[in-house]
Amino acid sequence: MGMSEAWLLAGLPAGAFVILLLFGRYLPRHGDWLSIAAIGASFVLIFPVLADLLDKIHGGVLSAPGLSGWDWIEYAGFRLRLGFAVDQLTIVMLVVVSFVALMVQVYSVGYMKDDPHYGWFFTCMSLFAAAMLTLVLADNFLLLYIAWEGVGFCSYLLIGFWNERRSAAEAAKKAFVTTRIGDVGLLIGIIMLWRATGTFDMREIFHAAEAGVMSQPYLTTAVILIFAGAIGKSAQFPLHVWLPDAMEGPTPVSALIHAATMVVAGVYLVARTLPLFELAHPAALDLVTGLGLTTVLMSATMGLVMTDVKRVVAYSTINSLGLMMVALGSGQVAAAMIYLLAHGFFKALLFLSSGSILHATEKGDVQELGGLWRKMPVTGTVFGIGVLAMAGIPPLSGFWAKDEIILSASQHQNAFVYALMALSVFITGLYMARLFILTFTGEPRDRHAHEHAHDAPPVMTVPLILLAILALVAGFVVFDQVGDALGFPGGIGKFVYIEAPEAFKFHGAVAAVSIIAALAGVLGAFYFWWGEARPAKAAGARFPFLYALWKNKYYMDDLYQALIDRVILTLGRFIAWWDRNIVNDTGVDGSAALAVYSGFRLKFSQTGRLPNYAFAIILGVVALAIIAMIVFV
Amino acid sequence: MIPMQHFLVLSGILFSLGVYGVLARRSAVLILMSVELMLQAVSINFIAFAVYLAPEAFVGLIFAVFVIVVAAAEVGLMLAIILRIFRNRATANVDEVDLMRW
Repeated sequence: MGMSEAWLLAGLPAGAFVILLLFGRYLPRHGDWLSIAAIGASFVLIFPVLADLLDKIHGGVLSAPGLSGWDWIEYAGFRLRLGFAVDQLTIVMLVVVSFVALMVQVYSVGYMKDDPHYGWFFTCMSLFAAAMLTLVLADNFLLLYIAWEGVGFCSYLLIGFWNERRSAAEAAKKAFVTTRIGDVGLLIGIIMLWRATGTFDMREIFHAAEAGVMSQPYLTTAVILIFAGAIGKSAQFPLHVWLPDAMEGPTPVSALIHAATMVVAGVYLVARTLPLFELAHPAALDLVTGLGLTTVLMSATMGLVMTDVKRVVAYSTINSLGLMMVALGSGQVAAAMIYLLAHGFFKALLFLSSGSILHATEKGDVQELGGLWRKMPVTGTVFGIGVLAMAGIPPLSGFWAKDEIILSASQHQNAFVYALMALSVFITGLYMARLFILTFTGEPRDRHAHEHAHDAPPVMTVPLILLAILALVAGFVVFDQVGDALGFPGGIGKFVYIEAPEAFKFHGAVAAVSIIAALAGVLGAFYFWWGEARPAKAAGARFPFLYALWKNKYYMDDLYQALIDRVILTLGRFIAWWDRNIVNDTGVDGSAALAVYSGFRLKFSQTGRLPNYAFAIILGVVALAIIAMIVFV
Repeated sequence: MIPMQHFLVLSGILFSLGVYGVLARRSAVLILMSVELMLQAVSINFIAFAVYLAPEAFVGLIFAVFVIVVAAAEVGLMLAIILRIFRNRATANVDEVDLMRW
């Protein structure tokens, strides 16, 4: 088992999916064990693949990516592989995806226990794991695109898992349609790259781009279109509106798909195609940075006023995704990937522990929660760890990851970007601590729910604790010494890179600013929301405009709704009218009516009398003779 | 030797007479005879061309024989049909026979 068998990682969950789909209902426990076993085996098999990869790294440089797979289409010189490739970027993604998927599936055994569609849930989860691992392993854009749509489809199925609830069905539709807008861009971008280079293979396209096959405007257009796919999938402004609504799905789904894995597919795509971004016009990377920064600030401010626990965590996810985009916009793959790694763990932790709250109290709104610390100490502790990691308090993983991003922004961007990043760190600390304070401290606002609250069974708490441990320590992989001890060539900067390995640098001033901002945020939250939360209410009354703006999500949902109602439905009505009147009534029915009418008229020429026919024949012969004379003589 | 044009003129006259007969006559039997006239005009053409233009090849002559055979078969068939119509309707006037009318 080495890199050449890496396809097995995606193949095992795919096999589990097929078996569950066909025979799931006949298996004991609806086959949840099969799904968990498949993803568990995938997780374990990463280690031999990783060992093989590390063997092939000499002097910090990977000689060749580990390719595997089969020829898929071969026609007239065009060759398409069902190909899988392993390199450093892939390994980071594989670890996040398979570990979080394993934890989430184990957790789901407890969380989804009494659901009538228990088996179907695990079937979808297996399909998702297979599609996501294929997306990560794909060595060509076409396979990547197929997997990309596959995870989108699983997301649709799982958001609408409780589709008897209208809001869930609507949210699933919204998520699918919104991400499709970006996906169209991605597809066009891929086709543009294929047109210029004649191949879908990523590495060949990178080589061709370096050789200057594409003109810079052409390449810039292509990478911006590819980035459009990432905007949709990674919920960047202006297509971020679907992610908060996606919380209608079961909480494990939110943890896996809408926090740790699928939404970072966009980040992975940009990281993967970063060599193309570097060759394109600088405006492309500036666009990535700009949209990332906008997303960060918008989501952070909206997180301040939302009251649904899962929604706040969803806004913090959008916030994190924006941070990763800023890192990529600064050209720092390592910073984005370390954040992705840490984020996968602490965000899944946050979602799963808010799932525990939901499970215990059946309330998801902080206005009905409060004082849960005494009833749910384990959940409270791990949730607190997640909050501190997200806020970026040292020495948790979130701090090291966020520090890398802020460092790259301070080095590669202007002071304005850096200042906004520091501001976002402050706001993040503020709203994450607020969430913890409102949920776990103070007086319970709903006595009944509070009395029944209790910690979840071990099948749910063990994944939480494992994730909490990783949320604590995952950040240490930035250190070269830690990387060396684990057998890597060094810290993550020496493992994941585009041009040259980079040693870990600790910048005291930048770190100090980030620590102060985060601490100020957390302490500020205690000032604002502790106890009766009077300062927060006063602040809300003082700035009603800002409060309304954030509470209404910058009116973007209303804007889009108005756009759909006014423009798209108007266009739709016109097209419907065109289809009914011009295409159907005039074109289809009209030609049929013409045939009927002319048939009715022309039938009278059939007199049935011999002399008429004879005369017609002779006229025809004479006409033909005249034509022949004109043509041939 | 008689020039070829004479045969062609004869053939043309015969064919025109046949056309006139088909259009002007009302009796089915006479129409049939007119059709035969047209067919024989064509046969004369075939033979004339064969003899004057390609004396070594017998294509035209063979074709004329075929035309005669086909015409004979046709006459047999048509007379049978006309007889049936006459039996059923007591007339062989084509103006009164319009069974194929819309």
